[in-house]
Amino acid sequence: MIPRPDKLGAPMGALLAVALALPLASYRANRIALAEARGLFEALPAVWAAALLACAVATIAVALFVRPPAIRLAVPALTLLLLLIAIGVAARMLMANGADYARVAPGTGFWLAGFALSILITDAIVRLKPGPFLRLGVFALAAAAIAAILVTGEWNALSILAEYRGHAATFWREGAHHLQLAFGSLAAAIAAGVPIGILIHRSERLKGPVLSTLSLIQTIPSIALFGMLIVPLSWVAANVPGASEIGIRGIGMAPAFVALFLYSLLPMVANTAAGLSGVSPSVTEAAAGMGLTSRQRLISVELPLALPVILTGVRIVLVQNIGLTTIAALIGGGGFGTFVFQGLGQTATDLILLGALPTVALAFAAAVVLDAVIDVLPGAKA
Amino acid sequence: MIRIEGLTKEYAGNAVVRDVSMEIEAATITVIVGTSGSGKSTFLRMINRLVEPTKGVVEIDGTDTREMKAYELRRRIGYAIQDHGLFPHWTVARNIATVPKLLGWDRKKIDARVHELLELLQLDPDEIAPRYPHQLSGGQAQRVGVARALAARPDMLLMDEPFGALDPVIRAKAQTDLKSIQDRLGSTILLVTHDMAEAIRLGDRIAVMSEGRVEQLAPPAEILTHPASDNVRNLVGDDDRPFRYLSLIPVSERTEEGTAEGTPIAADRSLYDALAEMIWSGREVLPVVGEDGSARGLVRRGALLDAARSVA
Repeated sequence: MIPRPDKLGAPMGALLAVALALPLASYRANRIALAEARGLFEALPAVWAAALLACAVATIAVALFVRPPAIRLAVPALTLLLLLIAIGVAARMLMANGADYARVAPGTGFWLAGFALSILITDAIVRLKPGPFLRLGVFALAAAAIAAILVTGEWNALSILAEYRGHAATFWREGAHHLQLAFGSLAAAIAAGVPIGILIHRSERLKGPVLSTLSLIQTIPSIALFGMLIVPLSWVAANVPGASEIGIRGIGMAPAFVALFLYSLLPMVANTAAGLSGVSPSVTEAAAGMGLTSRQRLISVELPLALPVILTGVRIVLVQNIGLTTIAALIGGGGFGTFVFQGLGQTATDLILLGALPTVALAFAAAVVLDAVIDVLPGAKA
Repeated sequence: MIRIEGLTKEYAGNAVVRDVSMEIEAATITVIVGTSGSGKSTFLRMINRLVEPTKGVVEIDGTDTREMKAYELRRRIGYAIQDHGLFPHWTVARNIATVPKLLGWDRKKIDARVHELLELLQLDPDEIAPRYPHQLSGGQAQRVGVARALAARPDMLLMDEPFGALDPVIRAKAQTDLKSIQDRLGSTILLVTHDMAEAIRLGDRIAVMSEGRVEQLAPPAEILTHPASDNVRNLVGDDDRPFRYLSLIPVSERTEEGTAEGTPIAADRSLYDALAEMIWSGREVLPVVGEDGSARGLVRRGALLDAARSVA
């Protein structure tokens, strides 16, 4: 009798099977020419194609019928690693008989297979119930694998790296801008949001108005908010002495920074207030009854106990800001968004990916690291 | 000694505690008993100024508490509450050290005090001190709460339903333990409860509160034999009155000469316990033994029933 297939394994296995039939890579005669699809056996040497196919079939079988999470993790992880190396091999093979300005990019089959494998791996990791340090270890291992592939030049023939070589100088500069904007606005939001959160926790009267105002800001579409800030900031730059010297202008980093800060306030303020009101009343009562002053209660009891919830707010803000910073490029704020919008303008998919992929990777890394930090805190156990 | 004079708390014109006066002798347990909404917790919280009185004076050893900073006053008064209120992010040792740290004791002195208190409350210091509150049982957490309240040798101990969250078996043990700790340390305790049986078991004096007033302040026996009002009578419960009264009298007071068969009862147990034993084992007479196990005589059912009838 065949055992019941796994609930998540069945759709992901099916997805993987579909991905095998779709083109692994796409070939273009030049950067903006129409893409031609290349299937698994057209794109790879026979040995590679057969190995990848065998691994994929094994993964489908494991996804459907194998229970132990360690195997559910190992087999898809191996397949994913093989897939990542194979796409580099495919690019080299397809480029060998093309001109220098031909481009080879991963095809729909690659993306779909990558997606299905990632879901299977994530699911297996969740089933393993790893502690925070093990999660960080797994993440570091994955990051190291990708870094190794990049450093050894395995992917050099891929179009996105060709695009990188064309923008190498600006790539790191925009990356630095991106981080400055995301982390800078986060720092400002923590500095302002935590005190506001403490304030509205203590004053029921302020709570409603403050939270509704911040929610209202949150509903303004990001492009509109960037646009709305151009006018007041231009005015400030023109009329406040010294403002333009420190870089305040109607366009550029300043409005982007302010907009990101405003979007960050709601999660910071709301999570601080929620964390503080989650502290058990008997604990605050005991703290007062023992003779802790109001400041001592806040610093040594209430804030430490609220910290996991406040850090959840930091995590939300950081992931949100890393993504939103992309849009800052529209008003000259810089960041990886610069490549996204240039790519959109030139209909150059590879350039879009050069901006989008690092953004996704940064957001993912921020989420994993902060989740682990939240789990390590002693207050999280209570 | 604590002197309370005309203590009143009003919220928006509604008096929750009305004009309460009493004197509390050092080294005694005074139990405030009343139904919920009687103002007993508010009264207690005015002593350490967690609630500021609208009117009235609280003096501790002749000093008006209003002359001190509230947090300084609170560091001199131990405070234990129903859900123990232990700080979940601190170990047991750090929890107990809260007030000594605030008072700036040195490390050695604090460590020694924590060790001493855990032993006093029958908790193994090496095992319990490094634990976090979520790793303790309900009874252990309650005892750590009491240890924390006693840590800085306070002038007095305020306890608000300290045993409210415990199951009946642990609760009885906790009450006995508190009584023996108080005997040993000579602490002054003001304890709030809604449970008259607990009040009778623990109190040197009982203050019965109703609608913000103290209706009667008297030793337990007097509360039972001469309730000052219907409210007091209702709190005791007519059905329970003889039994409560028996629970106050030690077996030694009704012990007669002679010998009897069967499992003996200790002379320091109450007549209530003796009656329960008689009913359960179907005997009319129990042999009585002293602490050392030596025969002291016997106690008769008739004598118990006579004692119980004397309340009426």
